[in-house]
Amino acid sequence: MTGSGDFENLVDLHYAGLYRFALSLTRDENHAADLTQQTFYIWAAKGHQLQDRTKAKSWLYTTLHREFLAGQRRQHRFRHYELNEVSGELPPIDPALVNQLDSQALLVSLSQMDPLFRAPVALFYLEDYSYKEIAEILEVPLGTVKSRIARGLAQLHTLIIKVVPRGEPKGERA
Amino acid sequence: MSPEQAKQLLLLYRSRRDLEDPEIKAAFDQARRDPELQQWFEGHCAAQRKLKEHLSNLPVPRDLQHTILTGRKIVRPTFWSRPAWLAAAAVIAILAGVAALWLRPTPFQRFDLYRSRIVSTVWREYRMDIETNELSAVQSYLAKSGASTNYILPDKLRDLPVTGGGKLKWGDEPVSMVCFDGGGQQMLFLFVMNRNAVKDEPEGRPELRKVNQFQTASWTDRTNVYILAGPDDPAFLEKYGPVQ
Repeated sequence: MTGSGDFENLVDLHYAGLYRFALSLTRDENHAADLTQQTFYIWAAKGHQLQDRTKAKSWLYTTLHREFLAGQRRQHRFRHYELNEVSGELPPIDPALVNQLDSQALLVSLSQMDPLFRAPVALFYLEDYSYKEIAEILEVPLGTVKSRIARGLAQLHTLIIKVVPRGEPKGERA
Repeated sequence: MSPEQAKQLLLLYRSRRDLEDPEIKAAFDQARRDPELQQWFEGHCAAQRKLKEHLSNLPVPRDLQHTILTGRKIVRPTFWSRPAWLAAAAVIAILAGVAALWLRPTPFQRFDLYRSRIVSTVWREYRMDIETNELSAVQSYLAKSGASTNYILPDKLRDLPVTGGGKLKWGDEPVSMVCFDGGGQQMLFLFVMNRNAVKDEPEGRPELRKVNQFQTASWTDRTNVYILAGPDDPAFLEKYGPVQ
């Protein structure tokens, strides 16, 4: 996948998904566009090294995530949460509540999540990757991915409930 | 398992594909036997579908695809089987194409791409290799690390306090970065690279162009190509660029 047509094909297939993934990580449209562009730029420079071409999509998502993390320059190590630690943190989410939400409000909720949970939750929703594939993209063990998604979803539910209070139609909020 | 444990596992359910996971499958089967859990699960699935729909509908900038493609466009001529005279014409066209391909700038030689990527690098991850208020210390560091120090600072820029610098790379070419305190918490970044590394560098007056949140002014002298990046204020940038 090194020719111009292949590159254009790859961009055509994945730029929108990568941008949405980047946007869910950064909540900044410029930053998301830049990360997407940078990801394809790295592909243009290094993509030929990928021997298994069927992995191009995962490669792009891994690269974008790495670029995002490099930008974060994290100073601290994150805790590893076990799945059973989520116990007692599962606020029920009412589908009607989600109906009141729009994409932008959901993005705000995502951006308020612990950064550690944001990428797996975004991949959980945006792409039909298996948990194993998400683990490969994020370069963490399978169990960690599952625990992060479960904990992230619980956190997201809490944040959504805060954004859209129960029984209050969206249009009437101050 | 308890209903709470089942709920934790069912949170991970998106489609029947996830039933390949034995834990999720066990929780799924339990929900079918437990009406209360099943009701929770159905509500959860409905909410998940809606959330997925919201995220999938996030608008994508219209020009993003074009921007990516114009940032890296490599023309690869292909040969096709045709009658002899068409083949001969094709050979000539291909030779002309190959010549054009040979002569046209590679992505690394395109100045607009260099400017966009080098400024974006700082915008994404601002990092100085050396933090100092001494320009001589920055130059000494750059010289030791093999980056260019034969740059000429515009007079007004030279008057600003230095905050540090670093060595970046564009392809195999070293790029010197010198950072200045523009006052009022405004930073200015000067990037200097050998002008032979790019083919379409700006000539004449400094070229102003916005890159992400930065305004940039770019110019060349006989040896180097310069990019000054700072706050989105063209007049502010022009003030510190070379006098024309």
